[in-house]
Amino acid sequence: MIQVFNLYKTYEGNSPALSNISFTVHDGEFIFLTGQSGAGKTTLFKILFGWENIDRGQVLVGGINVGKLNKNNLYILRRKIGIVFQDYKLLNGKTVFENVAFAQQILGSNRKNIRFKTWDALKKVGLTKKKEAYPNQLSGGEQQRVAIARAVVNGPQLILADEPTGNLDPDISIEILELFEQLNKQGLTVVFATHSTEILRSKKHRLLTLNRGKLV
Amino acid sequence: MLETLFLNIKANKQVFLMSVSTTVTAFSILGLFFLVFTNLNTLLLTWDKQVQLIVYLEDKISKRQSVKLESSFKSHKEIDSFSFVSRKDAWKKFKNTFSEKSKFIDVLGFNPLPASYILKFKDSPDRLKNIRTVAEKIKNQEGIEALEYGEKWLSRFERFMIFLRIFILCVGGMLCTGLIIIISNTIKLSIYSRQEEIDLMLLLGATHRSIKAPILLEGLIQGLIGVIIALGIVKLMHVYVRYQFQGSIESVFRGVDIQFISNSFFWAMIISSIFVGCIGSLISINQFLNARNRK
Repeated sequence: MIQVFNLYKTYEGNSPALSNISFTVHDGEFIFLTGQSGAGKTTLFKILFGWENIDRGQVLVGGINVGKLNKNNLYILRRKIGIVFQDYKLLNGKTVFENVAFAQQILGSNRKNIRFKTWDALKKVGLTKKKEAYPNQLSGGEQQRVAIARAVVNGPQLILADEPTGNLDPDISIEILELFEQLNKQGLTVVFATHSTEILRSKKHRLLTLNRGKLV
Repeated sequence: MLETLFLNIKANKQVFLMSVSTTVTAFSILGLFFLVFTNLNTLLLTWDKQVQLIVYLEDKISKRQSVKLESSFKSHKEIDSFSFVSRKDAWKKFKNTFSEKSKFIDVLGFNPLPASYILKFKDSPDRLKNIRTVAEKIKNQEGIEALEYGEKWLSRFERFMIFLRIFILCVGGMLCTGLIIIISNTIKLSIYSRQEEIDLMLLLGATHRSIKAPILLEGLIQGLIGVIIALGIVKLMHVYVRYQFQGSIESVFRGVDIQFISNSFFWAMIISSIFVGCIGSLISINQFLNARNRK
């Protein structure tokens, strides 16, 4: 699913954000990506979903060479990936249902399909009863569930979760982790970025550790 | 897409209305210029049709010279017809025209006016040019004292119309440029108010086209609403001016009717508004998306 070869990334005038990173993530795997704040986890994620350029090296996601994509065809890559952020990135003016449906609308799905798939995604995360609520009426954990539902509604092959439990209590964090585990059991490849030792200890998955832009 | 468009407009109502007001103002100014131009042009064409070449004859012109002149007139196919005005008829007409000054005219005691031929030319786009050409050809013929066709003031009016055309083009160009900037800034505000949503759309795999489409439509609508209201204002002005001044104008310039802007100007305004709206939006959304390009 993901193949990274000798990846380098530097921001102007600064020391390298990523230095000689090489790793592979197989289909259906669950990987923890860990490291201190500033280690390069978010930069790596941004490269994987095409938000940042590569200085050197090669990155393949779902068979797509990320470096060869231009601004007009990046959407092809992003439709294969579901992204979950620490700050949820929900639209406050839309209900839970509308937030999840938004991802389907972008694909140009018809109304019937949108309703069906959105409902299905909300069932997966256990939020069908809150479909008419607005984000500011939800708890942090519930908001993150909505974000996860939105990430999976389009049937991606890969989930990139960038510190999805960073703003949540430990108990809720474990619940969210369980949700990712369930998605992984259904066949989704998951790369879960975290620096929480409780999370890392709770499950046995392969670990990729970044330290100052290098894989340890 | 329409739903997104209306939601965007609703979310930025004030800015949208301000932009439309500016568009209305700019296109109203342009429309008024076109209105003035259309009517001045009509006036010019009316005068143009009324212009005749008057050939004033020498007092001692002989019959032979008159016949030769008439043959010359017949040989020019641009001339539709000609008529002879004797000295007596000219004097009678003069006295009728200035009947209020009849006391002064009677004091003169003699007829100072010459006999003349009035040459009417055929209708054609080169009518004025034909008058000038024929005038040049016949001016030195025997028996002719002078020629008159209002050449100087017609030329000046024509030059004025050319200047007005260029002036309107420049004003129109400047107004359109200004409007592009204004609409671009309005759309920019609209985009930045939805920045989070657009970023999310990019992350979720929206194509640039699907992001640009509602934005372009928003700019187009701003332009169209603006120009429609502006045309309404110009029409109201036209109706008012016609109501107030048509009678006065007709008494001075017979057959001249105060017209609304011509079809070509009408469509030029509509197309300009669409162009301005689309270009303004395109500039903003492209700037935004380029800033989102991978670093």
